[in-house]
Amino acid sequence: MSSGSMSEDEFVDSDYDDFEEESDIEYEQAEDIGFSDMISEKHRKKAYEVDFTVFPLSDILAAQASASNHVANILGVTQDQAAALLRSFKWNKERLVERYMDHAQEILDQAGVVLDDVQTRLLKRPRGFVCMICFDDSSAGPALGLRCGHVFCQPCYEHYLTQKIVEEGECRRILCPESGCDVVVDEQTIKKVVQAPVMSKYRQLQDRAYVADLDNLRWCPAPNCENAVECRLPHSSFATIVPTVQCSCGYKFCFGCGLGDHQPAPCGLVKMWQKKCADDSETANWISAHTKECGKCQSTIEKNGGCNHMTCRKCKYEFCWVCMGPWSEHGTSWYNCNRFEESSSTDARDQQAKSRASLERYLHYYNRFANHEHSAKLDRDLYMKTEKKMEEMQRTSDLSWIEVQFLKKAVDVLTSCRMTLRWTYAFAFYLARNNMTELFEDNQRDLEVAVEALSELLEKPIEREKIAELRAQVLDKTVYVGSRREVVLEDTAKGLAEGRWEFFVDFGKI
Amino acid sequence: MSGICRSRLAEERKQWRKDHPFGFYARPEKKADATLDLMNWQVGIPGKPNTPWEGGVYKLVLIFPEDYPSKPPKCKFVPPLFHPNVYPSGTVCLSILNEEEGWKPAITIKQILLGIQDLLNDPNPESPAQSDAYVMFKKDKIGYERRVRQQAKENAA
Repeated sequence: MSSGSMSEDEFVDSDYDDFEEESDIEYEQAEDIGFSDMISEKHRKKAYEVDFTVFPLSDILAAQASASNHVANILGVTQDQAAALLRSFKWNKERLVERYMDHAQEILDQAGVVLDDVQTRLLKRPRGFVCMICFDDSSAGPALGLRCGHVFCQPCYEHYLTQKIVEEGECRRILCPESGCDVVVDEQTIKKVVQAPVMSKYRQLQDRAYVADLDNLRWCPAPNCENAVECRLPHSSFATIVPTVQCSCGYKFCFGCGLGDHQPAPCGLVKMWQKKCADDSETANWISAHTKECGKCQSTIEKNGGCNHMTCRKCKYEFCWVCMGPWSEHGTSWYNCNRFEESSSTDARDQQAKSRASLERYLHYYNRFANHEHSAKLDRDLYMKTEKKMEEMQRTSDLSWIEVQFLKKAVDVLTSCRMTLRWTYAFAFYLARNNMTELFEDNQRDLEVAVEALSELLEKPIEREKIAELRAQVLDKTVYVGSRREVVLEDTAKGLAEGRWEFFVDFGKI
Repeated sequence: MSGICRSRLAEERKQWRKDHPFGFYARPEKKADATLDLMNWQVGIPGKPNTPWEGGVYKLVLIFPEDYPSKPPKCKFVPPLFHPNVYPSGTVCLSILNEEEGWKPAITIKQILLGIQDLLNDPNPESPAQSDAYVMFKKDKIGYERRVRQQAKENAA
């Protein structure tokens, strides 16, 4: 494959209208491509979308080859050597060529490139040789040393390199096994020493590294997808832009952090939210808000009713829930702790109230966040049900296969809206309260109401005579829900770009 | 290299007995049946002269993994040491003992022990491993040194 394959794809895109006469499957594919084409046409119109290009693996390999070929011609080295040099310069051609002209040998050493092939052959063991790894001192068998002169026996070398490549996934800088030696093992040596499968693993790692080295490329994280996506936005802009991209395999993800689509929340916010949800600090908050420790055995106790006269179930210690002092001291003031109004107790009460309020706020957002996540999972079941429904509709009505597609489309829209809604709650959690927040919450509520209405509609059983009505309603709602989602995304994206949102945390750059 | 763990360790032991730096010791532990357990070594590292560590010999165990020398041994002070780069468990945090950082299969036991000896009076504040020693080292140099000298006395040979 050559890099020309992209332009072929585009050619297919623009001409898809001609395929309408083809079979259903082909029609569906063409429609998909046509749909993404429509998006790219509208690109600049929407604040929440970014420009990106999807490249198949073959294009990535071709781009790599053409870059190294180019450099190989300029510097007069082989293509493999040029690739190794480029790798050590993060594929910055200009800087490499410029620096190479001035300090050729230094650059070669750094990248572990040996131009003179004689240096890398397997040596006969020198007289009195002892391998410093296995302490083998027999005089038979091959040995190996780089220009630093540290010679080891071939099996030790092979094991060392295999370990580095296969287990540690290292392909950039594998150093001489001698303690403290910084000489890089060159590619020819590696090729000579290791087995073929290890070498192919090594090549694979290099290809991965190519995409990782370039800031504007990222592998599609979907399982078994070999495409890479290019997005030319600077990484510094990801605090104000949520760079959501969609691979040609259909998977939607964030170019900034590689997680699944998390619009409208920016990467930094997502990271903080996930950390907050994952760590135990909220558990601790709950414990401090709802429980106290027994004054004697330190068991954690939750009071769920009854009077203030507590008896620890474990150690049978009797105490007052209000002042935590022993019950015996309360004398005659049964069931009425008069120490309650003391300042230390009031302070403790305020502290507890504050921590309770902050916990409740978190739980408010978290519950809604988790609920939409859960519902999105249930949507997968809905997908199956919808397929059955579609068949049923075809049987019971005179609608054709294409005409019942509206159900599938509705589920798609529903799912993506739930994902968006989910992240609006994380977004809202960090939002400082002002007039803007109210507008945001209005938009959020509108979307939520619309989503729930559509969801309800899709769960309804089908009545034969009402199919036409249902279809109209679903179509209507689908379009409406989609437009509500756009309003939310558009508004949040614009607000981020304009710095209109006020967050009470600083998530800055990722 | 898979099967060389024990033969390499046997050779290390031979080399050590032939020649080792003054004041150090290193010997494989004895198993119940009185044979040597090459995978676990007991070693002692003396503090360098003219430092607050002088006078003490600090005991460690070296635990070698089956894939040694591909992987480094685990080095642990017994009992745990007061030092910014020693974890509360006693494990030493040192770049050459980290397989992802500076470990190389050609590093010998002698080099490891000399490396740890260097670390004693030259801690790396970039990678603190315990808070007690680290905080004191940063904020209270005099108190830190006093603590180290006292530790040297407790560990006198």
